[in-house]
Amino acid sequence: MGQTVELACIIDDDKIYVNLVKKIIEIKKLSENLLIYKNGKEALDYFKEIMENTTDENKLPDIIFLDLNMPVMDGWEFLNEFIKIKNKLNKKITLYVVSSSIDPRDLERAKSFNLVTDYLIKPIELKKFEKIFEKTAA
Amino acid sequence: MLNDLQLNSILEDFDIAYWKINLFSREIHWSNHFSILVGDPEIEEDRFEFFINHILHPDYRYDFRIHFEKLIKENEPFSFEIRLKLENGKYRWFECKNQKSRNNDFRETAVLLFVNIHQSKRDQYTIEENFFYYRETAEMTSTGGWYVDTVNKNIYWDDVTLKIVECPRDFQPAYKDRMKFYAEEHHNRMRNAFDKCENFGIPFKLELKMVSFQHREFWVRLTGKPVYNNDQEVVGIRGVLQNIDENKNNELNLQNSLDIIATQNSRLFNFAHIVSHHLRSHSSNLSLIVELLRESKSDRDKLDLLANVEDVSDNLDSAISRLNDIVSVQTSLKKEPVRIRFEKALEVVLASISSLINRENAKIVAEFQDLKEIRYIPEYLESILLNLITNAIRYKQPGRKPVIFIQTYTDNDKEYLEVSDNGMGIDLDEYGEKMFGMYKTFHPNNPEAKGIGLFITKNQVEALGGSISVSSTLDIGTTFKIKF
Repeated sequence: MGQTVELACIIDDDKIYVNLVKKIIEIKKLSENLLIYKNGKEALDYFKEIMENTTDENKLPDIIFLDLNMPVMDGWEFLNEFIKIKNKLNKKITLYVVSSSIDPRDLERAKSFNLVTDYLIKPIELKKFEKIFEKTAA
Repeated sequence: MLNDLQLNSILEDFDIAYWKINLFSREIHWSNHFSILVGDPEIEEDRFEFFINHILHPDYRYDFRIHFEKLIKENEPFSFEIRLKLENGKYRWFECKNQKSRNNDFRETAVLLFVNIHQSKRDQYTIEENFFYYRETAEMTSTGGWYVDTVNKNIYWDDVTLKIVECPRDFQPAYKDRMKFYAEEHHNRMRNAFDKCENFGIPFKLELKMVSFQHREFWVRLTGKPVYNNDQEVVGIRGVLQNIDENKNNELNLQNSLDIIATQNSRLFNFAHIVSHHLRSHSSNLSLIVELLRESKSDRDKLDLLANVEDVSDNLDSAISRLNDIVSVQTSLKKEPVRIRFEKALEVVLASISSLINRENAKIVAEFQDLKEIRYIPEYLESILLNLITNAIRYKQPGRKPVIFIQTYTDNDKEYLEVSDNGMGIDLDEYGEKMFGMYKTFHPNNPEAKGIGLFITKNQVEALGGSISVSSTLDIGTTFKIKF
């Protein structure tokens, strides 16, 4: 394996899922660091703070895994807010929507966002995770 | 004076035939025209008997003999209708009448006229027949006729219209009261159509609600066309009015059912996706665990993962039981609504959550004096109260003793229930739309929130044809208002 991703970000309220992904990343050494937020608002607050206070691009993730169904601020609302600030963040960020919803309407809607690289349906296989991280790191 | 020849030809032109009868010898002379009409038969027997047996329709034999005797013995005018068989073998209608002799003393001859009335008789039949069909059609389709004399300001309604509008048969609608018979909300439409027809001769066809003499509202289809005088000025409007109340109501009911089915269908569709989504999130975690188990090398890792399996199992279990709660909203709909006292429903609810109330030291104030009871499904009312009260306590303002104010009342014949609290409130601009959605939770750090209570409450209220709304101020409190 060549390069690893520096910083990955998971926005998901399912603790079990987050723990499992954390474990995968540890075992496979896919990312050096990991940000975890349990809803869109927490993640957004973090990004806004960085945007206002530092220019440290190392604090911005290379890759985001965004869940759709979350309390307080769901994935859709996060996307709508994130579009507004994305250009001000001085880094290329790859964003994947990750959901257990197989509703085709969700899939269509996610793909209508330019900043969404792909829509991943849970569960994601280990190999798929590895591929995604490799692609992002390269 | 006319001579016989001239007279004969005039009578012929009018299709009038006659008999000349010698009162003494009873000898009968047929006019030329009469002979031709009946086909100029060879007559060997008595002319009168031949006429009776071969020309006159059998139904009139008796009457004819009586009248004939009268004609000979008396000198009184008479007239009656008979049918004669003509040369083509078909019966035709004639009016048979005598010519009263001017000279009373010396009556030698009498004249019996046969006037062909077949055409007018047929016209009369056609008119009667048409009138019959018109009546039957009007009755069957409940369509009445009406006329408004716009010059003299008079209204005329026919019998069927009077019946449709539930008026007495001798009722005469007054021009100034004409709007009274239309539902308030359709006054403008009616007036516009009428004015346009009266001023510009534009016909109209409307579907609108009328108000009957008995103050009952019903739907009609109304057509109106202008009536012109010789100077081409509109002097009236006439048209028909059809009672379509049954059809219209069926149509409205059908539309209503269609709407309900459409919303239920989309709700079911959403429900199916939500269910699959929610169950899938657990199953996908399980399959991730299995994959990781295969990959993990150390026993410690494996034990960690097994603990996760237990969590997934618990989550799956509670997810299914919550889905069960939702499904039961639909199944209990089959129960019949009964009259329930709010106070009693509240008692049941408070008893079931007494430990929560005591723990939080919550104060519950109920005012049911304006509306003491309601027809409802008891389980629903209890579930609604339970959800709203537990929500109010759960989302209390930290440090403030929770107070919940419950009130029922009627407004404009509609029944309302309001549940207000002094809790933390919610930002409706941000969350208002999602408030009643499934699995929507708004207060971070509240693990008890499952995002299901208000979803079920809304479903229950709507399932019985009501609606629920919310108003809230952050840090002040929230009020839920249910219209039953």
